[in-house]
Amino acid sequence: MMTQGFTLWFTGLSGSGKTTLSREMEGVLLERGMKVELLDGDVVRTNLSKGLGFSKGDRDTNILRIGFVCNLLTRNDVVAIAAAISPYEEIRQKNRQLIGRYVEVYCKCPLDILEERDVKGLYKKARLGEIKNFTGVSDPYEEPSNPEVIVETDKETVEQCVAKITRTLELLGYIPVIGNGAEYSAEEEEEIKRRLKALGYI
Amino acid sequence: MLGFLRKPKKRICVIGLDGVPYSLLRVLAADGTMPAMAELCAQGHLQPMKVTLPEISAVSWTSFMTGAGPGTHGIFGFIDLKPGSKETRFPSFRDVQVPTLWDRLGQKSKKSVVINQPSTYPARPIQGVLVSGFVALDLRKAVFPARLLPDLKRLNYETDIDTQRAREDHDYLIQSLHSTLEGQRSLVDLLWDREEWDYFQVVTTGTDRVQHYLWNAIADTTHPYHTVVRQYYRAVDRFIAEIVERYRQKAGREQGLTGLFLLSDHGFTAIKREFNLNAWLRQEGYQRLEQATEPTLQNLSPDSRAFALDPSRIYFNRKDRFRDGCVETAEVGNLTEEMSSQLLALRNEGEPVVREVFRCADIYSGPCVPHGPDLIVLTYSGYDTKGNLVKNDLFTETDLQGMHTWDDAFFWAGESVDGDLMITDLATRFERFLS
Ligand SMILES: Nc1ncnc2c1ncn2[C@@H]1O[C@H](COP(=O)(O)OP(=O)(O)OP(=O)(O)O)[C@@H](O)[C@H]1O
Ligand SMILES: [Mg+2]
Repeated sequence: MMTQGFTLWFTGLSGSGKTTLSREMEGVLLERGMKVELLDGDVVRTNLSKGLGFSKGDRDTNILRIGFVCNLLTRNDVVAIAAAISPYEEIRQKNRQLIGRYVEVYCKCPLDILEERDVKGLYKKARLGEIKNFTGVSDPYEEPSNPEVIVETDKETVEQCVAKITRTLELLGYIPVIGNGAEYSAEEEEEIKRRLKALGYI
Repeated sequence: MLGFLRKPKKRICVIGLDGVPYSLLRVLAADGTMPAMAELCAQGHLQPMKVTLPEISAVSWTSFMTGAGPGTHGIFGFIDLKPGSKETRFPSFRDVQVPTLWDRLGQKSKKSVVINQPSTYPARPIQGVLVSGFVALDLRKAVFPARLLPDLKRLNYETDIDTQRAREDHDYLIQSLHSTLEGQRSLVDLLWDREEWDYFQVVTTGTDRVQHYLWNAIADTTHPYHTVVRQYYRAVDRFIAEIVERYRQKAGREQGLTGLFLLSDHGFTAIKREFNLNAWLRQEGYQRLEQATEPTLQNLSPDSRAFALDPSRIYFNRKDRFRDGCVETAEVGNLTEEMSSQLLALRNEGEPVVREVFRCADIYSGPCVPHGPDLIVLTYSGYDTKGNLVKNDLFTETDLQGMHTWDDAFFWAGESVDGDLMITDLATRFERFLS
């Protein structure tokens, strides 16, 4: 089956799970025989967007550059996965319009949980004023208005988030549905048969 | 002046009564068996509703929750064919091709609590809580999120009664109807205030079960199970009453009961005879079973032109669909006409049996139409079409007492709906209400 490209865009505060989930999704999509490129904000800032800072203007440039690359990949039938805070709705919408085949995943997680997690120790530094313009603490984050998927990473496990994103991609027709017919074990099939027979079916 | 008071948020609560016909509900409301229902009828509107064909729970509930027909959602029955093959399989929730109402509400950050929804197994993540109903097998796979599992275990929550045992042992049936209803009641009790929700739904399937096995007991006052069956409907009525009261309090006075809805997924009527479609196809020369092999669809003789799947689906053995097919695409039109006129002319003891034969291309639309059957047979009340491959008699008796109907499901709402109501209309109504 020839699959078309699309962009899977993860947005959310620092520590909300973008890198974790984008790597998981990379695995899922590779397993389904798709070509995948992952653009993680942290990595992009060391090359493509090297030298850019965290002002509104620099942030916008960074996100638009990632969007530009995602679009190139998408139109060449690669799945582009982006994992970047991408705090501004207007800029995300611009990318959505440019790319077209664009699926947005909002990694939602309350700030107090993120500060507890503090994977990189950044929230602590931000609170101490050692980092300026830190999204969620001293810089804005605009919630997405129409994401295809919302994962609440404080309530759902990584596995559940991955299942939800995968299912949405299946339902939107971006990836082939697998497991047709293999949903039930032989034992389970027997049990279903037994119950249906008793209701007069089969 | 009271502008500073925030408007209470809009909430929907839906109660599903599997298989309860409009006509029966009116009787039970009027004769005092279901006083809460009677009160609802006085305050709102009870009306008949049509459902998608075939009129079985797997299809109807999927049509309800997606707001689309089988041609779009892809579920045509409890069993289906593997692609390109005559091997059968059991479709699951994963086979539903479009998002459900709760998926769509979830995208708008609205939360749903959905309890005992048939045809949602294995449960998948939604914004909120989903507890799958029939054919949920393993409770661990029937619950999202998994944190609810200990609660369900503690409540002795069961997804369904043991249908095989219930068919043979009606005392067991009655007792387990009450215990599953109690399980649903206590789960509503637990989740109602604990979970955050915009949309709350609970379905009870016991009503379908009792109607399959003891339909006649409802009306027949001399039936040995008459009283206990009536008591069960009384219990269902109390279940409804409790939820209505909860809803009144939660929704607030301004909203009243405008966000409360009740429905069934099909109607019911008494069975006179089972009508075995495959036996009929063989009698008319459309199908032959190879001698000395196990009677399965794969073992039909290669010149068989058609076969049926439960309950009322006819498939042509098309070359463009099956590897060993024998019906040319160009023949389909004639075959349809010939078969339809023969079915419509069929008589049992002088009575007509088949009311209408639908071409699926006419009644369905959407990308899944090619995966569905070619024809759907709609019978007159009392003739329950069956896809059994082994039985050779056209008409057989059964110990089952009730069969489904497609045009006698019910819908209750605070406001009446103009014109014919179809089960696929509801999802968008609900979505609109909440937006
Ligand atoms: N359901 C979940 N999904 C994703 N991550 C989760 C989930 N539950 C817990 N976590 C944990 O949360 C942390 C998320 O960190 P991750 O680096 O993925 O965040 P990020 O959004 O990429 O942050 P940044 O913007 O700083 O790069 C990880 O430690 C991960 O193990
Ligand atoms: Mg990251």
